[in-house]
Amino acid sequence: VGRHCLRAHLSPQLYVRNAIPMGTTAKEEMERFWNKNTSSNRPVSPHITIYSWSLPMAMSICHRGTGVALSGGVYLFGLSALLLPGNFESYLEFVKSLSLGPSLIHTAKFALVFPLMYHTWNGIRHLMWDLGKGLKITQLYQSGVVVLVLTVLSSLGLAAM
Amino acid sequence: MAVLLRLDLLCGAQGAFLQGRPTPGWTGTQHIHLSPNRHSGSKAASLHWTSERVVNVLLLGLLPAAYLDPCAAMDYSLAAVLTLHSPWGLGQVVTDYVHGDASQKAAKAGLLALSALTFAGLCHFNYRDVGICKAVAMLWKL
Repeated sequence: VGRHCLRAHLSPQLYVRNAIPMGTTAKEEMERFWNKNTSSNRPVSPHITIYSWSLPMAMSICHRGTGVALSGGVYLFGLSALLLPGNFESYLEFVKSLSLGPSLIHTAKFALVFPLMYHTWNGIRHLMWDLGKGLKITQLYQSGVVVLVLTVLSSLGLAAM
Repeated sequence: MAVLLRLDLLCGAQGAFLQGRPTPGWTGTQHIHLSPNRHSGSKAASLHWTSERVVNVLLLGLLPAAYLDPCAAMDYSLAAVLTLHSPWGLGQVVTDYVHGDASQKAAKAGLLALSALTFAGLCHFNYRDVGICKAVAMLWKL
């Protein structure tokens, strides 16, 4: 039994048969949704406090967190270069004059490089997903563990340099 | 203006969008075909997505390259690619958490302004001061 939509005959220039254009855009619909819901002051169901955390979920938010933190660092650095007096070397000299112990410096280097390494390795994992690879649930967990191991190893290696 | 196309359920989509009707009792991976982007009003979003991936791969390559061959060209490339990658990422965060048209526009405008300033600052650093690659090397020698 072939069912043919009348629309296919009425508007053949539409690429897709059996499709009707809607009156609103996604943006407009989002706007309407939030306007209605923020003004109603409805209680929000618990979500992140009750949902069982999984490794992929935790790694995803860490990817975002490290990204925001790293961006903050880059922006701070760039803006400081414009606004603060003196040159880079003078600031380094100041830090040297504080005579911080080598273990503290080593820890600071590790703290700087750890989010960068995590974001980089997890970023590669993301690019693999964009290629359509490794999307099965078991592969998600496996690649996640690989990223964590690589992060720790590369951070230790770079901090030691 | 992007126009949403909706499956006309009354007519019964003959596999126009979603394909892969599983037979009863079948439990496997179902292949879904999403709407091809020729149906969207503009290619802007699609191009943006692709550009983001290109920048990601570039940045990934620049990290070891900057270590192996630190030079002025590397400094400026890093500055440029970083100030593309960061705002695009932060833009996604804004889209996710800032609701309402006016607030989102304001947040994105602020982000753009800060990013432009940061890029200027990084270029200034590369020009007047030691440059990004050398700065990292000096910091690491502490």
